[in-house]
Amino acid sequence: MRDLWYLVRFFHVVPPVPSMMVGTFVTLTIAAALAMVSDPHRASGALIPVLVLQSFAASSGFSLPARRGHYDLLFTRGSSRTLIALVHWMASIVSGLASWLVLAVLEVVMTAGASRSLFASGTCAALFVVSTLPWAVTVALPRFSGGIGWLLVALTAVTTFSTGVMEPWTATSTRIEELAWPAWSFFIYPVGAVGQHLARPQMVAVIPALTLAVCTMVVACRWVAHRDIPLEAAQ
Amino acid sequence: MTLAVSVRSLAMHYGRRLVFQDVSFDLAAGQAAGVVGPNGSGKTTLLRAIAGCLTPRAGEIRINGLTPRDAIGRTGVGYFAGEATLPGGVRAAHWGGLGAGDDVTRESRRLRTLSRGTRQLLGLRTVLGRHPLGLILLDEPWEGLDPDAGRWLSTMLETKRDRGAAVVLSSHRLHDLAGLCDVYVFLLPHQAVVLRVHEIVSVGAVTAEHLASVFDRLRGGTMSLRATS
Repeated sequence: MRDLWYLVRFFHVVPPVPSMMVGTFVTLTIAAALAMVSDPHRASGALIPVLVLQSFAASSGFSLPARRGHYDLLFTRGSSRTLIALVHWMASIVSGLASWLVLAVLEVVMTAGASRSLFASGTCAALFVVSTLPWAVTVALPRFSGGIGWLLVALTAVTTFSTGVMEPWTATSTRIEELAWPAWSFFIYPVGAVGQHLARPQMVAVIPALTLAVCTMVVACRWVAHRDIPLEAAQ
Repeated sequence: MTLAVSVRSLAMHYGRRLVFQDVSFDLAAGQAAGVVGPNGSGKTTLLRAIAGCLTPRAGEIRINGLTPRDAIGRTGVGYFAGEATLPGGVRAAHWGGLGAGDDVTRESRRLRTLSRGTRQLLGLRTVLGRHPLGLILLDEPWEGLDPDAGRWLSTMLETKRDRGAAVVLSSHRLHDLAGLCDVYVFLLPHQAVVLRVHEIVSVGAVTAEHLASVFDRLRGGTMSLRATS
């Protein structure tokens, strides 16, 4: 427990996300909240910029600051490397989570509980994917690589396949051939699921992306746990 | 004598590039080792391997009988690789608080705005403020320090060593290492030589001139360390 507290304190002092990005989250949350005050049913649309920003915040990059020696205090303290990785991940996504929570609660309050689109299963699935996959992919890469990569893939998909790729919620059966396209669409553009209450076929369609997100997280944590951390300047 | 650090036939590589090989030495608790060598000879790499951040290609490192990664949780380790490793955007007082939790400094400016020597001193005070410290690993610790801070560091290291900590230091500043260390590890291209004090001088303390002279001999000619000693 003392280890965990120290790690939280460390990543509070040495935040993996730049303060300017935290400021952008605050600005976006205020803007989204104002939009929701004028029309509470715009909650889903208001959350999308927050999720896009979250994919960049989660792409915080672990190895570069580690190779610069910024985390030496942690590595030589004896804390579990896996725990270090998990706290780093949490510190990377906490601003986005806070934004989502504020907006979701605001939506419930504004609609007197009638609308809970930001707590919907589709929203939670999208939030999970944009908070995990970019972090895991960027562990060994420079900051923002995951977010930039995802944006490029999404833009390429949109320009190649028409905007239909952004509307994957057409899955009506659990037959593999009918699920392939919705599953692919969710993987490419998870924020398209914001506000959707997923029925069973749609739930099945998001499982591959969620599984991939969990698997990459496991691989990334193992990478941090076992990989050598040479000093950039010493090679 | 309690064995603190044991290094056996150690070889380190970066990819295919051999950094050094066949380094062996033992260090007991309450003893200090000085690592000397030209730039690029692997001083930082050796210290980082002992700190558990790098895995040796060959040979082994044991700290109190355990691998470095297993040992660092049980042996208090203080490792500092120089002011360049401090994150510039962090406020000095906050960084200082990450050591033992005590106030190392009340300076509220960000680290990047401080002078190099001030950053170096802050980094050292943060690491050395940890307790208990069973093993201290410092890479070029006197670099950038003013004479007062340099004396403080030497005194601090002597005190920690006399209280039972094992100390491993790398430095080009031979006059700071001389007298403080019980073992000297000379890292040279393609060879490493480890000498204890009695193998350098038969009587009296080791001086910077002794170290420079040994290094010259090992290198087979005049070398740059003499100028810095």
